[in-house]
Formats: sequence, structure tokens, C-alpha cells
Amino acid sequence: MNEEQDNNQPVSRQRRRFLVGSAQGGAAALFLSPLGNLGAAAPRKPASSEDIVSDARTPLPMTLEVNGKPHSLRLDTRMTLLDALRDEIGLTGTKKGCDHGQCGACTVLVDGRRELSCLTLAVAAQGREIQTIEGLANADGALHPMQQAFIEHDAFQCGYCTPGQILSAIGCVREGHADTPESIREFMSGNLCRCAAYPNIVAAVTQARQAMEE
Amino acid sequence: MAEPTSARRQAGMQSAGMKKTNSERASPRYESREKVTGMARYPADMRLPRVAHAYLCTSRIARGTIQAFDLAAAKAVPGVLDILTHETIGDQPRQVPAIYQGGYLSDSFRPLGSAEIAYWGQPIAVVIAETYEIAREAARRIDVTYASQSPPAATIDSPEAVTQPLAPMDIDVGDFDVAYARAPVKIDTRYSTPAQHQNPMELFATQCVWEGDHLTVHEPSQYVNNLKFGLAEQLNIAPERIRVISTYVGGAFGAKGFLTQRTALIAMAARRLGRPVKLVATREQGFTVSGYRAETRHHVQLGANRDGRLTALKHEGWELTSRADTVAMGAVSMTTRLYACPNIVGRVNAVSADRSTPGFMRAPGEMPYAFALETALDELSCELDMDPIELRRVNDTRTEPVGGLPYTSRSLMQCFDSAAAAFGWKDRTRLPGSMRDGDWLVGWGCATAFYPTYAGNSAARVRLSADGRVHVSSATHELGQGAYTMMAQVAAEELGVPVEQVTVSLGDTDLPPAVVAGGSSTTASLAPAIMAACDAIRARLGVTDATSGTVSTAMATSGMGSIEEFAETRAPGLPADSIKGLYRGMATPFGGVHMADRVQFALGAQFVEVRVHARTHEIRVARAVGAFAAGRIINARTAHGQLVGGMIWGIGSALHEQTELDERNASYLNANLADYLLPVNADIHDIEAIMVPEEDSLVNAAGVKGVGEIGVVGVAAAISNAIHHATGRRLRDLPFRIENLMNET
Repeated sequence: MNEEQDNNQPVSRQRRRFLVGSAQGGAAALFLSPLGNLGAAAPRKPASSEDIVSDARTPLPMTLEVNGKPHSLRLDTRMTLLDALRDEIGLTGTKKGCDHGQCGACTVLVDGRRELSCLTLAVAAQGREIQTIEGLANADGALHPMQQAFIEHDAFQCGYCTPGQILSAIGCVREGHADTPESIREFMSGNLCRCAAYPNIVAAVTQARQAMEE
Repeated sequence: MAEPTSARRQAGMQSAGMKKTNSERASPRYESREKVTGMARYPADMRLPRVAHAYLCTSRIARGTIQAFDLAAAKAVPGVLDILTHETIGDQPRQVPAIYQGGYLSDSFRPLGSAEIAYWGQPIAVVIAETYEIAREAARRIDVTYASQSPPAATIDSPEAVTQPLAPMDIDVGDFDVAYARAPVKIDTRYSTPAQHQNPMELFATQCVWEGDHLTVHEPSQYVNNLKFGLAEQLNIAPERIRVISTYVGGAFGAKGFLTQRTALIAMAARRLGRPVKLVATREQGFTVSGYRAETRHHVQLGANRDGRLTALKHEGWELTSRADTVAMGAVSMTTRLYACPNIVGRVNAVSADRSTPGFMRAPGEMPYAFALETALDELSCELDMDPIELRRVNDTRTEPVGGLPYTSRSLMQCFDSAAAAFGWKDRTRLPGSMRDGDWLVGWGCATAFYPTYAGNSAARVRLSADGRVHVSSATHELGQGAYTMMAQVAAEELGVPVEQVTVSLGDTDLPPAVVAGGSSTTASLAPAIMAACDAIRARLGVTDATSGTVSTAMATSGMGSIEEFAETRAPGLPADSIKGLYRGMATPFGGVHMADRVQFALGAQFVEVRVHARTHEIRVARAVGAFAAGRIINARTAHGQLVGGMIWGIGSALHEQTELDERNASYLNANLADYLLPVNADIHDIEAIMVPEEDSLVNAAGVKGVGEIGVVGVAAAISNAIHHATGRRLRDLPFRIENLMNET
């Protein structure tokens, strides 16, 4: 394994390899939202044969830091952060509802901000702090105020969108978008709930905002 | 609007004057902690060692044949393990009839059965590979040559579609033609509703693992025993060799009721490979993996006297179906029985087209048929210049007019009065456009909600231990409706123990069998079975009353370590031999209009305030109040969630949801969650659900009518009626969009 060696390479080089590699991976390369500006940020010199992974299928060593723990993995460069969390790391609390960034079920916190893990390639999440629903409660089992508020207000039914709703709601509060019900409704509208627990979600976020600010 | 929802909810409950019992208190859901910590394991979350990944290939044409597959490029992708097509799969799975023909499947298509293509989105190949990424890439490299027969019939109005009257559904009472001709006031209108898809947040997933000749299936399901017994027939193996597990379901809404084509394919792929195989169908594929709410058309004719009394009622429906299966919800059986009327005609037609077989979607027939009838009644009230509530009141009845059978209980007008008071209906001014608020045209509308009371044969097992702990189990399902919570509460109440001492197992074919979790029947079916098992435990202890602590005290002093009782209950109205179906995955909900001596319905009243912008024609539901009488409410908290969620579904059915068809090739244009519009948080404002007290000892031993679907019913009509009140424009085709108000008609 040469993970260490790879991890010591400049980030820009890893990214370049990823970009070249994934260009053959088809549609996945189009979903580059978190790194959308990289093409401009990292001017490309003519690629030499040694720094190109010509086949996107070749697993790439990488380290993902999830809930404070590093995970060393070798992953297909086309793999999303969502699938890496679920299938490789075993954190299945993050849910796949559409795989297209349309439903919000896969929302996680990346560097403290809410992000859609189905639109984030795993390889692009290196060096960033990823927080999932499993990392929210304290080690002693005490729930985060948002989790507690979701229980108290019955802000879910089937529970499938719930991890994404809770992480998105924490992001919503941190952004300062949870001051009024109208604002909560607007800034939580990226998270679909087909059971339609929306009124209770708004009530839960309202309660948790106060607890989070105390 | 800024008032916290929970406060409103409590106020609503109190205003309904509910008596407080152990089971009605609003304790948190049983599985709350699992669901907020990510620990609830849905079927796709089960991690199976060495699992291989499957990707479906689906047909790009709607009618024709596959002439050739070129699999070379797909097979050349490193990591591809197997590719199933009709040419490579052999003679399995066997043909098993659809549920509509007494079988198990959601449609009549044999999975990968031939080169024939009958609808867009039909599974034509399955790629199995080491990873999801490889399977997806290989699937996209499969080259298919089709011989397309075009044009396909896309929908009801397509020239190639075939209309078939369903004579067994005919209803004829009195002489409609004469009465209608003589009626001093008449309504003659047509309505339509579009195709809609359930779109539960959880995708259609299946994981299969063989251990020797035993198969375990992890699949989100509303009926694990349907899967078990149907799959056993498809694979030609003994049912005892199959176990289906579905302990959490990420929403279903009718989409996960019956065996679909995918399950047998994944089971076979796992057997061929000697490895577990996992499929998670894409969101787009989900639009044709299972059934859906088919588009409908309606013709309603009403005749009435000047005092509002109905003298003639005719409701004819047309429902789209596939060419392979004749599926029709036919809810004229309900719309003709709601109001007193001496002369009635009901007709239902199935219209076959080149589409996948439709199925069940929350309030499957009730939503579209109620939209038609309840909008027509509002049109009649306008014609009569009569308050729409009063129109319902003069036609209220304790006896349904088709067979002359009594309603077991009927609290329709109590619902109207309760909702009208909470809504403030008395302040409504009659004339359209008369309640303008600045740039917003305000309209208030109402409609009746109804849902038949069903129950099915079910069994449950209850164990009481010497330490007072209770375990209750049944192969029923948690879809978000609150089955875990309900089961724990019923057992706790029957045995007089705190609900915290009760644990629950469900969603597993190893447990006592239960009916499909559909037709709003889970509580009505399971509560009596749990009650019967608890009765048996009390009988063994010689304890008759279940007041707090009595049973546990008797147990603690009995010298026994535990008592376990199994009970099965046959639902009212079902024949004795129907119990066999419970043990082979064929238990179906029964009741509603099918009882020999009575009809049984939950009823309700929907009120909405609509705001239509005078310039942009944007349509918003500013608030909605529903009042529902559904017999005994086991848990007010989960019931409230069902009712509010249902009402929001009603808003979606009226303003958002439509599966858009490309009529050139009978395909779906918006098979994803960005283009298939469904209500988001910002669409939903003030929603109030009131539970009107009602006791009904006839419907079942628990007195429960069920609340899973009634919340949806009538909302679309109430919105149509409110839009008319706001604008003077009558919209009769769902969904209502800005453009429908822009063109003058």
C-alpha cells in the first residue's frame, strides 16, 4: 500500500489526477459542485503519463475523516461520498433518496456546512471534516438538541429523510436562517419529506435553535 | 401562522374533547431514538459480506421487441460478474399471476420473460458487478437493438388505447334518466386527474443472500408474506426456505405492497453467483418498478330539487391500465353511497394502453373520485346559491342509498361543524372574488373526506415475563404510520403495564403473519389480534381486569417464568376459510362497501383557504383545517401525523403532482424528484387536523377505523372549490397550475 505516499502529495496533484480520471467516468464528473471552481484554481500543465490515472476504475487510495476518525480506503474515483460512507465505512445512517441532489436525504456536514453527499465524490472529500448522523450524539448517548427536538415534536414518520433533515437543520441554524418559521420553511426546502412532517419539522427546528444558542 | 405547530395540535386535540386514556397520550414513537441517530436499519442498510451490486437496464421503447443485445462492451468492463437477459436467464422465474388474478405479483409480466416490450421502463437486463460504479458503467455499455411498434398508446385519449366497460362495477338504482330529465337544477361536468407516483423517499432496494438452499431477502415491503410466498412460486422452492425481513420501511404509500419483477431477478442472480447481491433501483427506474396512481377521467351528472335534495346522481369513471392487467379502483362504489339519492348510476371503464400496470397510491380510488364528486357538489351549491355545508347536510344519510345498508357510524356533519368552527367559515362571503386581500384573491372552500374501514386477518404473539416485561410480535410493517408504537401501546394497555416495558418485533416472515399494511387497516387488523393474545394471557393467570399492575402482580406470584400466547383474528365479514390466506401471503383488507349487512367508513370535512395572486396567478394554500371521525384513536400523536401528512398529500395532488407523459413514446418526462413536483416545506403553511370523537363497536373489536389515507381525500376538491370562490374560475383538471388561470375560458 502506498497510501502515505499518496497522501503526502500536493492536493492539487491529487485533484488533477481525479479530474483526468473521472472525465472518462461519464456523468459523475459533471456533479462536481463542491469543487466546481477547481478547473480555474488549479491551472493544468500538460499531463505526463506518470501523474494520470488513465482509468477511472483504478482504485485510488484516500483518507476520509468522518466523525473525527480517519478512514483509509481505496476507492473507485467515481464513488460518491454517500456510497463511501454507506458501503465502505458502514455508516448507513446517511440515506440515498435520489442520487441526484434533488431530495436532501444524503445531507451531511462537511467542514461544518451542510452538503449533499451524493453530489460530492469521495475523493473530493479528503482533508475535510465530515460529520454524519452517527456522530451527532455525545459519547455518553446524550442526544444533540436537534435530535431531541425532532423526537419531542414528532418531526418524522418513516424516518428515512430524518438524518438529512437533522443535519440540514443544524446547518440552517448555524447559517442564521432559523429565526422565523418562514425562514426555516424556505431554507429547509431542499430536504423533501414525503410523509410530509413539515409543520413538525419547523416546530422542532424552532425549539432546537433556542437550545443551540443557549 | 407563527404559532408553534405543537401548540396548535394540542389545542386541536382538546377542542375535540378526547377522553384521555393510557393509549391516547402522546408519548414519543417507539423507534424514535433509532430514527434520529441513524441506527434504524432499512433493508438497503443491511451489510452483507462479499455483496455484489446489481444495476437494472430498462426499456427505452414502450411497445415492440428486443431484436438483439450486444453485451460485449459491457462484459469487457473489469469487475462485471454476470448479466441477466431473457436470453441468459433460462426458464426461471416461473410465471405467477398478478394479485388481480389471485396471485402475488404487482403485474402479469414474467421478469425477463421474453423479447417482448410492453412498456417504457420495463426491466430488460440486470448487470451484476463487484461495485455499483462498475455495474452502472456496464449497464450503460449494453447495446440494445429494438424493433419498435409505434406509435404506442400513451394515455386514455390516445387513439390506440382500448376502452373496456367493467360491467360488474355497474350501479343502477331507480331511474336516473327520468329523474335527471325532470330535475329543476342540474350539473353535468367532466373532470380529470393525472398519473401520479408515490415516490417514497426510500428507493426500491432488494438484497438477497442464500445460505445453502435458504434464501433471505431484505426488501422494504408492506407485505413480507406476499413476497415470501410469491417468490417461492416464482423460484419453485418451498416457502419455508425463504425469509423476508423489512423491519423499517422508508415510506411506501402503496408502492411496496406486492412483489415486483425485480425481487426474483436479484434472488436468481445471487444463486447463480453464490454471493449476496444488492440492487438499489434509481429514482427514475422507481417510476416503473412498481404500480402508480393511473390517470382518470370523470363524468358527473347531478340533479337536485331547489332545496338541494339530490334526485339523480351519475358518476362514470375511466381509468388507465396496462394491456396486460385490468386494474381499476372503481370508487364509484363509494361516491354513489355517500349521500341520500333515489336515482343513481355508477359506471367504471378501464382504458388499456402501452404502460406499466398501475397500482395503489395512498387513497388510490378515493382521491380522484372524491375530487370529481365533491367538486360537482360545489358546482351544484353555486347553482342553488346554497352554502356547500348545508348542501351536504340536507343530503346526509344514515343509510347508503344503493343497497339500503346502514352506516355502522357516521359523523360527517359533526366533522363539518367542528372544522367550520375552527376555520371560521361563518365569516365567508358568498360571492366569488369578494374576499380580496390586496393583490391576493382569497377563496374558501370545503369538501367531504371519506375512506372505507377495512381490516384483514392477522395474528400476533405476546409474551409476558415474570419481571413484568412484555414482548409483542407480528409480521406487520412500520411504514411511518406508527405500527411499533401502536403495538406496544395496545399490549401495555391490555396487560396494565407501562408502555416502556413493552418491546416489539415486526417486519419479518418468521413472526406470526399479518395482513398487507394497506387500506389504512394496520391498526384495525392488528389491535384485535394483540388484544386476543393478551386476553389469553390474562385467562391463564385468572385475571379479568387489566388495571395497572394487576396482571404483572399475578404473573410475579404465579411461579411461571413467562407466558406466551399466539392469537389469530378473522376480520369482520370474512368467511371462515379466508383464514388460510393468512398463512400463504394472501390476507387482504376487507370491509367498506363489501359487507353483507352494513357499510363502514371513516368520514371527515376538509376546509382550505386559497390565495391566488391577481397578477401572477400563483396559487397558495394559506391554511387548511380538517376534521375527521375515525372511531377509536389508539395514539393521538401518530394519528395526527397521518392526518396532517395526508392533508399535505392532498395539497400536492391539487397543486403539484403530475407524472408528465411524452405521448410520442409513452415515456415519463419527469421521472426524478426535481421535475416531479411534490410539496416541500415552503409550500406548507397552517395545517390543522381535528379528531372528532366517535365510538363504533361494530367495525372491529378495537373500534378502530384507520386514519392512514382519509387525510388525502377531498383536499383537491376543497382547493378547486376555493379557487372558484377566489376567482370565479372553475378548474376541473388536476393539478391546478398558474397557466390554468392565465387562459380565459
